[in-house]
Amino acid sequence: MENPAIITIDKLIKRFPVGNGEFTALNNINLQFKKGEFTGLVGPSGSGKTTLLNIIGSLDTPTEGIVTVLDHSIAKLTHKQSAQLRNKHLGFIFQTYNLFPVYTVYENVEFALLLQHMPAAERRKAVLDALEWVGLTDKINSKPPQLSGGEGQRVAIARAMVKRPAIMLADEPTANLDSKNSHHILQTMKRLNEELQTTFIFATHDEKVMGYLNRIISLEDGKVVKDEQVVPAKN
Amino acid sequence: MIQFLFKGIIRDKNRSVLPILVISLGVFLTVLGSAWFKGVFSDMINTNANFTAGHVRVMTRAYAENVDQTPNDLALVEVDQLINDLDNQFPDFEWVKRTHFGGLLDVPNEEGETRAQGMAIGQGIDFFSPGTHEPERMNIPSSIVEGKLPGQPGEALISDDFAKRFKVNIGDPITLFGSTMYGGMAFTNFTVCGTVRFGMRALDRGAILIDISDAQIALDMADAAGEVLGFQKSGNYDEERALQVKDAFNAQYAADSDEFAPVMQRLNDQAFLGYYLDLAKYMSSIVIFIFVLAMSIVLWNTGLLGGLRRYNEFGMRLAMGEEKRHIYGSLITESIIIGTIGSVVGTIFGLAAGYYLQQHGIDMGSAMQGGGMMLPTVFKARIGPEAFYIGFIPGLISMVLGNALAGIAIYRRQTAVLTKELSV
Ligand SMILES: Nc1ncnc2c1ncn2[C@@H]1O[C@H](COP(=O)(O)OP(=O)(O)OP(=O)(O)O)[C@@H](O)[C@H]1O
Ligand SMILES: [Mg+2]
Repeated sequence: MENPAIITIDKLIKRFPVGNGEFTALNNINLQFKKGEFTGLVGPSGSGKTTLLNIIGSLDTPTEGIVTVLDHSIAKLTHKQSAQLRNKHLGFIFQTYNLFPVYTVYENVEFALLLQHMPAAERRKAVLDALEWVGLTDKINSKPPQLSGGEGQRVAIARAMVKRPAIMLADEPTANLDSKNSHHILQTMKRLNEELQTTFIFATHDEKVMGYLNRIISLEDGKVVKDEQVVPAKN
Repeated sequence: MIQFLFKGIIRDKNRSVLPILVISLGVFLTVLGSAWFKGVFSDMINTNANFTAGHVRVMTRAYAENVDQTPNDLALVEVDQLINDLDNQFPDFEWVKRTHFGGLLDVPNEEGETRAQGMAIGQGIDFFSPGTHEPERMNIPSSIVEGKLPGQPGEALISDDFAKRFKVNIGDPITLFGSTMYGGMAFTNFTVCGTVRFGMRALDRGAILIDISDAQIALDMADAAGEVLGFQKSGNYDEERALQVKDAFNAQYAADSDEFAPVMQRLNDQAFLGYYLDLAKYMSSIVIFIFVLAMSIVLWNTGLLGGLRRYNEFGMRLAMGEEKRHIYGSLITESIIIGTIGSVVGTIFGLAAGYYLQQHGIDMGSAMQGGGMMLPTVFKARIGPEAFYIGFIPGLISMVLGNALAGIAIYRRQTAVLTKELSV
C-alpha cells in the first residue's frame, strides 16, 4: 500500500525583515515527509533548520510557497486553527525541557491531555503509558527540579508523545545531554517511532543523532543541498 | 483544569503569597473601614436626631432662623393641638415636645443663700407620659451616674460633673434662674433626683433635665414648646419619607406669611448633617474605589513579574497548542481564585476587628470637639450585612484587573519566535 505524504513543502521561501532589507532564511524548499519517517535536518548554524521546523510546526508562516501539514495549509490557518493542529497532531521537544516546575512529572504529562478535555480515566491510563515508554514510572511524583537532565528530557518526550501526535518536531533535543543520556532518549524516540508510526523530524548538529536517522536532509544557506535515505547505523 | 490551576497556586508561593497578602490587607482595611465609617456616621446621625433635630422637627419660622439660640420667646404655641394634628396626619411618626433653655443653676446652702452658681443648658422633655420613649431616646437611663429619673413634678436631673464640682447631692434643692417666654425673670426650685453623664462635652459641663410640663411652668410657656420633634416609629431614619412629610406639612402653611407659623425641617437640613448623611452614603464607594485603585497597581506589578517568571510556561503552552485566549482565561481564573482566597482571609480579619470595635469602640473625646454638632465621644464600628461581601469587591476587582492588564503581554507574544525562546 502506498504511503502518502503527510507533510508537503512546495517552493517554500521564508524571508525575515532585517534593517531596511530582507534576509532570505529559506530559499525554494521542496520536500515531502511520509508517515513514520525518522528524519534529520542538518547543516551549519544559520542554515535554516529551526526556521523550517517552525513553519512545519505552524508556529511561523511561509513568505511564499505552500506548506501542507496533515491536509492543512499552514499559511491559511487562524491562530485558533494552528493551535488546534499543534494540540492534536504535533509534539515539540526543545533543547531545554521547559517543564512546568511546580507540577509533578505526572501532572506535566497530564497537562497535554487536559487541553484536549480527555476523560479522567482514559487520561490516567495514557499518562501512565507515556511514562512507561520513557521509563519514568518510578518518578511519577517527582517535581522537575529533582530530575536529572536526561530524566527531564524524557518527561518532555512523554509530555509531547502522550497525545500520540502524528508528527514530532525536535529542535536539538540532545544538545544539553551527555552521550549516555543522548543515546537513551534517542533509543526511546526510535522505539516510539517504530511502535506508534510517529513521524520524527529533528533539527540537529549532533553526530550521535545522525546514527539513528533513516533520512538526512542537509541545508545550507536556506537551500536543500542533499536529501538522502540512509540505513541507520544504530538500530 | 481548575484543579490544575488550583494546585499551581497552592504550590507556587511566588504566585500566591504576595498577592494574597496584598489582597487580604486591602480587604481587611475595606471591611474594617466601612464598618467603622458606618458606625461613626450612624452614631453621629442618631445622636443628632435623638438629642437635637429629630427625624423631622417643627418650629416657628422665626425660631428656625435663630435655632442655635433656642429663642423661647418665638416658641410654638397651642402645641397640644399641633401634636394632635400631626399624630393624625402622620401616624408613622411619634411626635414629642421639647424645650431647650439656658439658665443659671444656683446651689443654696443650709440657710437658703447662694453657695455656688454655674451656667447650665436645660432641656424639658417628656419624662412623665406613660409609655414615653424620650428618656431612652436620649440614653438617659444608662447615663445616670447616681439617683433616678424624675418621677414627679419638681424633680430634676443635673450633670454629674456639675454635681461633683459644686458638691450637690441627691435630694438637694437647686434653683433655676432663667427667662420666661415673655422676657421676664424666672426662678424655680427643683429637687435633684439624679445625676447624668452622657459622654458629650456640651452636655456634661452643665445641664439640667426636667419634665416638659415643669419647663412650661418654669418658663411661663403654658401649652407652648420650643420644638416638636418627629421620630419615625420604625426607628430608622428614612430620608425619603421625612422629605415627603416635611413637604406635605410645609405646603399647608405656604400661603401663611406669619413669622410664627410652623415650619418643618428634616434631619438633613441640620447644619453639617446633610453633608455627613451624603458622605455616609458614598463613603463605602469611596473606600472601595481607593483600595481598588491602590491594590490594582500593586497587583498589576506582581502580575507583570509573575508573567516574566512564567514566560517559559506560557510559551510552552502556546507551543503545545493552547490558544492565547485560553491561557489568558486561565490567568484570569487563577486571579479569581487568588482574589477569592485573599478576600475571604481579609474579610474574616476585618469582621473580627470590626466586631471588636463594635463592642468596645474608640474614645475620641479629646480628638473631637464638635462645633455646634452633637458628637458622641466614644465611636463604635457597626457591622452591617454588607460587611460580609463588601471586601470582595476590591479584592476581586483589583486582582482580576491587575492580572488582566499584566496578561495582555500574552497576546503580544509571537509564536514564530517560541522555538528560540524555549531553547534558552
Ligand atoms: N525572526 C527572525 N528575524 C530575522 N532573522 C531571523 C529570524 N529567525 C531566524 N533568522 C535568521 O535566519 C537564519 C536561519 O536561522 P535558523 O534559526 O533557522 O538557523 P538554524 O539552522 O536553526 O541555526 P542553529 O543551528 O544555530 O540553530 C539565521 O541567519 C537567522 O539569523
Ligand atoms: Mg536552530
